[in-house]
This record gives sequence, C-alpha cells and structure tokens, in this order.
Amino acid sequence: MEKFDKTFPSKPLAWPRGKQWALAGVVGSGNLEVLFERNPKAPGKMDCHVESSIPGYKDSWLAALGDFAANYPVGGTKVTIHDQGADPIVVTFRLRQAYDHLKKTS
Amino acid sequence: MSSAQLFHEQTARQRLASLVDPGSFTEFLPPPERVMSPYLPQLDIPVSFDDGLVIGRAKIGGKTVYLAAQVGQFVGGSVGEVHGAKLTGILKAAARDGIPCVFIVESGGVRLHEGSSGEIAISEAMRAVFECRAKRVPTIAVIGSDIGAYGGMGILTTCCDFRIMTEHGRLGISGPIVIEKWMGKQAYDSSNRALVWKTSGGKTKFLLGDADMLAGDDAASVTAAIKKLLAKSSPLTLKGLKARQQELEKRLKTFGKTSDPDAIWNALGIKNVAEASLASATEFAALAKKK
Repeated sequence: MEKFDKTFPSKPLAWPRGKQWALAGVVGSGNLEVLFERNPKAPGKMDCHVESSIPGYKDSWLAALGDFAANYPVGGTKVTIHDQGADPIVVTFRLRQAYDHLKKTS
Repeated sequence: MSSAQLFHEQTARQRLASLVDPGSFTEFLPPPERVMSPYLPQLDIPVSFDDGLVIGRAKIGGKTVYLAAQVGQFVGGSVGEVHGAKLTGILKAAARDGIPCVFIVESGGVRLHEGSSGEIAISEAMRAVFECRAKRVPTIAVIGSDIGAYGGMGILTTCCDFRIMTEHGRLGISGPIVIEKWMGKQAYDSSNRALVWKTSGGKTKFLLGDADMLAGDDAASVTAAIKKLLAKSSPLTLKGLKARQQELEKRLKTFGKTSDPDAIWNALGIKNVAEASLASATEFAALAKKK
C-alpha cells in the first residue's frame, strides 16, 4: 500500500445546496473509488488523500490530481481515493464522474 | 440511472437507484461516515467506504422498504465483520419496524480474510432473517449477476421468504471451481459455462422451485417482481419445513444419479432445451408453465 496526502490550488467550486458528498467508482481490480466531500474551510484548495494498493506511482498520481485541480473548479473539496490498481486515465475519469454527480441537480 | 441498462452490469448503487421510486433512497452509514473494515489494512488490502454493502430506506411503488445491495467487485462482495453488521442491522430494523427487507445479493460468502468475525457476522444476519420471518416481515433476495449468491450468502438467501433471480444469477453453496477441485474435472468442469448455469443458474433454480420468480435482466423487470412479492410472506412452520425436506428428498431420489442437466430440464417440463435456453424470462416462465 502507498498512502499520501497532497493539497492542490483550485478555483472554488459552487457546491449545490443540500449536497455534502459525491462518490464515483468501486474498489475493484483496475478500478478505484473517489469520494468528494465539502470542505468550506479551504475554498481555494483541493485536499487529497490517496490510498493505493500499488506502491511506486506517486508521481503519476500527483500529475493526474494536479491536472484535475487545474482543469476543474474543485476548491473547497476534500478528495479521498481508495485505489486497487487503476491506470491514470481511469483515475481522471472517476474524478470527472464524481464532479458530474455533484453538479447533477437530482 | 437509465432503467434500460442491463441489471447484471449495474453497480450496487446504480441498482438501488433504478429499482426504487426516483429519489426516494436514503442511505444509512453513507460513505462519509467511513465505517470500514479494520482487518483489510493489516493485510495490505485497500478498504472501501461502505465495506461492499450499501444499505438504506426507500419506497417501491409507494411502499417503504429497507434495502441492502452488495458490491460484488469489492473483495467478491464478501461478508466481513462490518459488512455483516450492516446486513444484520438492516434486518433487525426491518423486524422492529415491520418493514419488508430487500437484498440485492452479489457475494461469494464470508470474507475469509476476516476469519471467524466474518463467519459470526453472517450467522448473526441469518438469525436476524428468522427474526423477520417469525414476525411475518417479508424478506426478499434478488440474485441478478454471475457472482451470484454462494457460501454463507447462498445459505442466507435461501433462509429468506422469497428469491428473485435473473438468468444471469447463480445460487449455490460451493462455487463451481471448489466443486471441480473437490470432485475432479470429469465430474464437474467449471470452465463449461453452459453446465455451470444449467446447474446453478437462474432458469434452473426457477424450474426447481429454489427461485420463486424469474425476472428479466433490467431494473423495471426486477422491480415488478419485487412489487408482486412485497405484500406476501411465507410462514415458517414445522409442517412447512417437513414438506420442504420431503421435496428435497424426492429431488435427490429423482435426479441424484442424473449427470445431464438437460435431462432435468426435460423432466421438469421443458421439452425444447435449446429454445428455452434462449427464451426471455417471461417466455421461459410460460414454457415452464409457472406464473
């Protein structure tokens, strides 16, 4: 296992009213789960906690998470990831999916 | 969550969302609560926020139900201590409140990584099923994916009042690979999918009466089956158990020496096995002359 925390600057996210969290993906082979939680104390930051079953890929993680924080307004969000060997494209996809779940109004 | 999506391809959360009245699901112990396995980190295995079981309350056709859905992709949907405690909790709530309980089962049984804790957890859940049945609170299990219901979850599923299966679902105690390892490849070839599904799959279980309803592989079809069963409960009596025992003895006597599953289908009223294999759930029920 490899575990680490990292904070990225990101434009503030307008959280829909009533929503406190969003989840995407499952912990399965080649997959991961991503949880977004509201973090009003740090509106300009995306705080990340990553737990991955495969050690040695921290640089790839930081690149994928950094890109996401730069491309989407996700400030004020705490991101927690449980990973079981997803490749970077799946990581990017799940982050985007969790973001979409949040923005959906239902 | 489109209901046109195939049920066996949906995740646990998608299944729940598409089975219940839109927007009516309230999750108990949602992911931010982080009630997770204390054992898996010790074994260097990643944890999941819901420990592979999503539980909560919702309405189906306006009627309040408790629901539990297993996440088959997470450690095979296996029942660890936390997973099992959530299962037991929702059942005890059902018994207390007199509200029917619906399980979407997708599990290989006890999570062996958690040893006795997992075994005890599943036994507690079984006891809670009987608590519901003693109070005539309906318990309904839905098996609609190829992970199916095996091991302790196979037993728990058969303890419930009713079982709904799709043709993708499988039900058993030992899984095909276990049987092959024990009995030999000549006795049971686990790589023969037709054989595996003809012995443990939804259509066969429906013919044998182990599954009460055969539903199509979509949420609307599964919801329709749940609605039909919600109003009923199956009383648990000594007389009923004895009758069931006799049925099983008769089944063993009739089919115990049969090695060809097609012969069992024939004997249970399916004349054209090839046609029935490809038939939809509704067509199959008609062929089997069951409602």
